[in-house]
Amino acid sequence: MARAKNYLDQKLAEKLRDRKYYTTDSNPEFLKEVEKIGQTPAHMCYQCGTCTGSCPSAPRSSYRIRLFMRKAVLGLEEEALTDPDLWLCTTCYSCTDRCPRDIAPTDVIMAMRNLAFRKDIVPRNFLQTVQLIYKSGHGVPNNDVNRAARVKLGLEAEPETTHKYPEYIPGIQKILDHYKLKDEADRILAKGE
Amino acid sequence: MAEIKKNEEQPKIGVFVCHCGTNIAGSVNIQDVMEYAKTLPNVVVSDEYQYMCSTPGQGKIADAIKEHNLTGIVVAACSPRLHEPTFRNATKAGGLNPFRFEMANIREQNSWVHMHQPEEATEKAKDAVRIAVAKASKLEDLFPKSVPVEKTAMVVGGGVGGMQAALDLADAGIKTYLVEKTPTIGGRMSQLDKTFPTLDCSQCILTPKMVDVFRNENIELLTYTEVEEVQGYIGNFDVTLRKKARGVITPAEAEAKGIVGGGCTGCGDCVAVCPVIKPNDFELGMAPRKAIYVYHPQVVPLIYTVDFDSCVKCGLCVEACGTKKAIDLEMEDELITVKVGTVVLALGYEIFPIEKKFEWGYKNFDNVITSLEFERLICASGPTGGKLIRPSDGEKPKKIAFVLCAGSRDNTGVGKPYCSRFCCMYSLKHAHQIIEKMPGAIPYIFYMDIRSFGKMYEEFYYRIQDEGAKFIRGRVANITEDPESKNLYVHAEDTLLGRPVDLEVDMVVLAAAIQPTAETEKTRRLFGVSCSQDGWLLEAHPKLNPCGTTTAGVYLAGACQGPKDIPDTVAQAEGAASAASIPIHKGEVELEPYFAQCIEDKCAGCGLCVPQCPYSALALVEKDGRTVMQVTEAKCKGCGTCGGFCPGGAIWMQHFATPQIVAQIDAFLLGGEQ
Repeated sequence: MARAKNYLDQKLAEKLRDRKYYTTDSNPEFLKEVEKIGQTPAHMCYQCGTCTGSCPSAPRSSYRIRLFMRKAVLGLEEEALTDPDLWLCTTCYSCTDRCPRDIAPTDVIMAMRNLAFRKDIVPRNFLQTVQLIYKSGHGVPNNDVNRAARVKLGLEAEPETTHKYPEYIPGIQKILDHYKLKDEADRILAKGE
Repeated sequence: MAEIKKNEEQPKIGVFVCHCGTNIAGSVNIQDVMEYAKTLPNVVVSDEYQYMCSTPGQGKIADAIKEHNLTGIVVAACSPRLHEPTFRNATKAGGLNPFRFEMANIREQNSWVHMHQPEEATEKAKDAVRIAVAKASKLEDLFPKSVPVEKTAMVVGGGVGGMQAALDLADAGIKTYLVEKTPTIGGRMSQLDKTFPTLDCSQCILTPKMVDVFRNENIELLTYTEVEEVQGYIGNFDVTLRKKARGVITPAEAEAKGIVGGGCTGCGDCVAVCPVIKPNDFELGMAPRKAIYVYHPQVVPLIYTVDFDSCVKCGLCVEACGTKKAIDLEMEDELITVKVGTVVLALGYEIFPIEKKFEWGYKNFDNVITSLEFERLICASGPTGGKLIRPSDGEKPKKIAFVLCAGSRDNTGVGKPYCSRFCCMYSLKHAHQIIEKMPGAIPYIFYMDIRSFGKMYEEFYYRIQDEGAKFIRGRVANITEDPESKNLYVHAEDTLLGRPVDLEVDMVVLAAAIQPTAETEKTRRLFGVSCSQDGWLLEAHPKLNPCGTTTAGVYLAGACQGPKDIPDTVAQAEGAASAASIPIHKGEVELEPYFAQCIEDKCAGCGLCVPQCPYSALALVEKDGRTVMQVTEAKCKGCGTCGGFCPGGAIWMQHFATPQIVAQIDAFLLGGEQ
């Protein structure tokens, strides 16, 4: 027997939510800010899709750089900054290399990440990475498996980085302290717990 | 030397300020400017009107001249490029010499650029009016000179545009030289298989026209010929042409040499014996030719050409030719000079070197070809007899991807920023040809926008869609190759679906951008024609004078002015031919009297100005026992180089004379105080 229609169903209500684009949803200042931080004329995008076509992330994820370009142009700040896809860009710059309009879509994403950070919207793993860099100078610190692999390949166990020269870690910490990045990361992470 | 008149009378200037609807009045306070003009020295009347260029507006000028006995007119309106002739005529209608008119551009140079600064724009308009009044107070009567026009014309470029222009000029009874750099006329159109949207066979409609050109007794066809030097001006161009050594003579030339029954008949006996093999340019290198060759069987004129760069002068062809004695391997280039009244440039286009966009792999991957190569491969008279094959293995492709906007609409500096205009349409046609000729094969068209703007073009798009071509909206990001199968992977985003596409195809056709030909730059410089940023030749006005150039007597036809398809090219060629025939039928042209004059009393005859002139218009002559400079007025363009250079101040630039310019500068800097 077919299931009875039930409009009080939360999932269905969500599905039937009005998904039109309203100009009242858009913040014209958003595009200005994105362009100011990203230093690229995002409003010249003609939506050809070369960026998504070039993107190594797109075939394996829901990340669509072209849609972020569109959201920048339309000023859909809320939608863009709360979209978890914002953090799927690997910043390989393939889209920027090939964009026929000479726009840097990568820098648009970077600008949006900056703006999201100001609103405390950052994935936890990014913040944990900040903490790791503060502690070790590395986003992905060396481990025993890696050390063994390096030795097997005839390399030294530790690479020519802060792993070998831990005396430079205070310098890195000084830079991060200057921008209060570690403090912010700690604060946001603590808030979420 | 023309008499130089000095203004003795007290100037009486009339100022007219135009609203141009809201174009000017939207940001400039017209009343304010008009009232200000009344306070300026010599101004006796100041008025304004909605549209000064309209009949009542022009009437105001004519009436004011009569009523106030004016000596000069200032109209503050748009660009002199647009309406100087209009207001000159109005000035003349009022009984004043038309060169007593001066224009202040308060639209292009003011209201349009200062749209949001009304106060500053009004102040700037006042400055412009004050400057114009200062000059108008010092203007003089000038009288245009007439020069006779040679009753011949020249068309440079023998493609479909050049041929049409030549035929029209010839049919209008004008002897026309048609100059073409390659050994045959026909141009790009003869390389095409079919034409959209009617799907006519290109050669079938072109060949009769080529024969018409050859047979027309008013057309002197000069193939394998280039323009070497241009002298003179409208009505009297002396053009030196280089007839490149062809190595072969025509029956007519043979007869002139007294060789009975001689000259090339196009029999091709020479080709059979020639040992040198070279790629055929006409087939884009996809077919061989000999060192003595014709591009294809329908060439006009049907005579062979020796490619002296590759000929080894073995003499076998001379032997094979026998008693016709058509071949002369010692032939050298010949220079001839012709005198023509007007010139039409139809220099055409060439394909952008798309290998520069290396992400698409042209010249790197075997099965990536350009659309022009596709035309030759699908053409029955092409290198494969009309069978479309993959260059890598000669197999029939089953899936073919078309990459539109390949290098067009591209601001990166590697491609071309403009739309190449006909790629959408020929790619639709290519899709049709595949569906028609190769059952089961599927064309995929990667497009950003389909621009099918012409008559019956949208209907053609509809038809191809209905026939089963697949359209994917998205620009191709890159193409990769499977090194084993030589199949290609086309990477793009289907932007309508919002998903990346990774399509495996057998062949890719790049609709490459087009650009001006390599020779365009040299030729346009010879004729003194300007070009736009992209190198396309610049028309005199994009809307009001699309066939003319800023060089009087030189007109444009076809793609050398910008990307154009065949109907547009032919239409513009007919327009250019019409424009080029007007001065010839009139028999004389008026030259603007902005030429230099020598004040002989002041001229020391030093001759320093002579080599300065870019137009060779100056010469030293003996006069009354003295050496003085003389201007050939018809050659002078009024550029002022000589006037600025003359150490004795003996050169008077008509309409741009030193006192007039000084008055303008004073008016600006000192507000009119002297």
